[in-house]
Amino acid sequence: MRRSASSAPVLLLLAAGGLAGCGNGADSGSGDYPSEDIRLLVPYAAGGPTDLTTRTVGGCLESELGETVVVENLPGGSGALATTELVGAEPDGYTLSLVTAGTMVLTPLANEVGYTVEDITPIGVMADVPSVLAVGAESPYASAEDFVAAVEAEPGSVDVGVPGASTPQGIELQRWADEHDVEVTVVPFDGNAEMTAALRGGNVDAVLINASQDVTGNIDSGDVVPLIASSEERLAWLPDVPTFTELGFEGLTLSGSTFGLAGPADLPDDVAGTLEDTLQACLESDEVREDIGEQYVPEEFAGADGLAQVLDETQQVYEPILG
Amino acid sequence: MGIADGLGEGFAVALDPTNLLYVFLGVLIGTVIGVLPGLGPTATIALLLPLTYELEPVTSVILLAGIYYGSMYGGTITSVLLQLPGEAASVVTTFDGYQMAKQGRAGPALGIAAVGSFIGGTIAVVGLILLAPPLADLAVEFGAPEYVALTLFGILLVTYLGTKHPVKALCMAALGLLLATIGQDSITGTGRFTFDQVELFDGLDFVAVAMGLFGVGEILYNLEKTEKAEQIKARIKNIWPSRRDFRDSSGAIARGSVLGFFLGVLPGGGGVISSLASYGMEKRRAKDPSRFGKGAIEGVAGPETANNASSTSAFVPLLTLGIPPNVVLALIYGALLINGVQVGPQLIDTNPEIFWGVIASMFIGNLMLLALNIPLVGVFVQLLRVRGGILAAFAVLITMAGVFSVNNDVFDMWVVLAFGVLGWLMKKTGFEPGPLVLAFVLGSILETNFRRTMLTSDGGFEVFFTRPLSGTIFAFMAVVIVYSTVMGIRRRRRGRPAALYAEQLEEMTPGAEDEGAAGVAASGGATSSAADPTDRRTGGDRP
Repeated sequence: MRRSASSAPVLLLLAAGGLAGCGNGADSGSGDYPSEDIRLLVPYAAGGPTDLTTRTVGGCLESELGETVVVENLPGGSGALATTELVGAEPDGYTLSLVTAGTMVLTPLANEVGYTVEDITPIGVMADVPSVLAVGAESPYASAEDFVAAVEAEPGSVDVGVPGASTPQGIELQRWADEHDVEVTVVPFDGNAEMTAALRGGNVDAVLINASQDVTGNIDSGDVVPLIASSEERLAWLPDVPTFTELGFEGLTLSGSTFGLAGPADLPDDVAGTLEDTLQACLESDEVREDIGEQYVPEEFAGADGLAQVLDETQQVYEPILG
Repeated sequence: MGIADGLGEGFAVALDPTNLLYVFLGVLIGTVIGVLPGLGPTATIALLLPLTYELEPVTSVILLAGIYYGSMYGGTITSVLLQLPGEAASVVTTFDGYQMAKQGRAGPALGIAAVGSFIGGTIAVVGLILLAPPLADLAVEFGAPEYVALTLFGILLVTYLGTKHPVKALCMAALGLLLATIGQDSITGTGRFTFDQVELFDGLDFVAVAMGLFGVGEILYNLEKTEKAEQIKARIKNIWPSRRDFRDSSGAIARGSVLGFFLGVLPGGGGVISSLASYGMEKRRAKDPSRFGKGAIEGVAGPETANNASSTSAFVPLLTLGIPPNVVLALIYGALLINGVQVGPQLIDTNPEIFWGVIASMFIGNLMLLALNIPLVGVFVQLLRVRGGILAAFAVLITMAGVFSVNNDVFDMWVVLAFGVLGWLMKKTGFEPGPLVLAFVLGSILETNFRRTMLTSDGGFEVFFTRPLSGTIFAFMAVVIVYSTVMGIRRRRRGRPAALYAEQLEEMTPGAEDEGAAGVAASGGATSSAADPTDRRTGGDRP
């Protein structure tokens, strides 16, 4: 009890600091941006790939801009808690957030959350994490063709795990059935670790999984064997793995995750410009690339327009399915 | 990784100065709250949970585990000195421990409890090392049907069999299962009972619910009681038990270690079941059972050893299957999740530093406890003088700041307050929060896996019985239900209370915290009545 008593004031101070940071942002002119602490929200829990990416970028923004960047995890509501906080903040560049197609497109389409993709100002893409359709080491399916043939021979007989109920991976498998008549049974899990365990134990036949660093380790060790990649072109680090497009399944390129940086709608142009330029500079630094994972940082910087394009494309495809 | 390598790495982690400090803090806090009646490991860990967010995952588990087994030591002290169990698992210790204190043998009683706890804890750590890795390998084979079977088994043990009032416990478990359905459906993503409130999309936060029910509920309940703990005047001298004491209790300690270990591994197992079972076993084996309840040292040594062994072995299902067997472990599970650690069969491979580090810290922690307890018994007893009101105010403040810090969400603070009032009402009306919280945690695991099973089996139920592992578990459940029903009927025919130690527990625990896993009827139906309940009462400790 003694220890906890001494920690309470510290926590209160931290909380007070957080509140102060967002309260008095409005009065500063945009010309001298930034002149105070920047709050950078992560709509997911600490420790995952989103958190790692945001903290890496946040640390670089801090040193480039010369102001403290406070990274804050606000998990919950499939990203809606943090995003609600973002769209409600003053558009002054002192409240920013990580955004994904999941938090900006899927969640508002699936639930009544009171915001849409229009309510943010995109700044740029921080990282792209592709998905792979993968099987276990002892799987009977040695290649993508084997797998597709087995599914087509007996629709619904093959169980494929996805990381959650309304995730891009789940919708992608639904589109695979709707648009290309390849019908698997979608089994939602809770995150990558559960899926990997189920795959290794033979409790699912395959997974469509975000190829984040925890998964690439299992790919390297041979426990997880990738068959198909979700990217538009073959992944540089998996040159032997074909894409859905190559196999004739046009349009199945949306199951990867794009981690974007965004502010509230109506961010002043000079503030957005400063942030976009700084983000670009950060993503060119070797240290940042290494921390995020070299294979996840886009080869060519995708700025505000690039991020907007990804979100809009996803919106157009998902709206008829979910809306 | 072999055991030697693993232990090597584990000790490297555990001997890190920070971790060494936290294992010490953990066992110290554990001992202190074990001494304080009303504040048990569940409430304390619930209160401290959000603070562990700032720590490394392994450090936070080391701290919380230290609190858990530390409290098993601490609970003994007031049981012996004041006939006031500091926490539920020490209830049994009052039977003979207080009698020993009255005879001026408080020293040997506390001494043998400390030694027994040390041995029990250490043997259980060895068991954990040997049993956990093979279990983890087996656990990779665990699919959705097995998780369904295991979670059902856990809920069954905790509710139907594990409490004084099975009907009340079942009500609470049902409420817990219902509460677990709030939030997005895990398979389709549809919102359920969310009323379009973003805060409810992910359901109620487990930490907020547990902190409300256990922490705030307990505080409110204790505030109502104004009586002071009754002090014993007897001095504590010659703490070290005599050679004869050791000879008398060596068998009890050996049996208690093994019994405690295996009961701790079972879902719903834990301190109370194992100490009651050990007491029953010692009494049955004794040449002269009438000595029990009059200061028999075996009656202290056995149960104290068993509850410590079980508090260690309870980590086996958590660290290998990701299934918390009792409420305290459910909270530790929460601490790992908050820290972004996925708990499951892969934990030993992906986070060996956590698995082996925690094990190594248990060795160290048990040694520290032995060193702490023997010279400091007199000091600990002074803690009883802290006024309840002061403690309560601090605890509420910490709880509110703490729960906010988990998700940075004000809504969770309202959840704590609401569940605090609910917990207080439940406590007043004799409903235990344990089954509710455990059902709440296991409910989402159960539902998700049940529906996954249905997805993969195309809606067929036979898969639960045809898969060898889940079939075995279901068969075992059927045996347990039939056995307990038969025993219950036989006991009722003989005019005995349905639950074996119900009356004693009723008498002894008003101030002590129920562990939620308070298994009574499950613990060996063959042992007939323990000490005479009319003979003992807690000094004015009733509301």
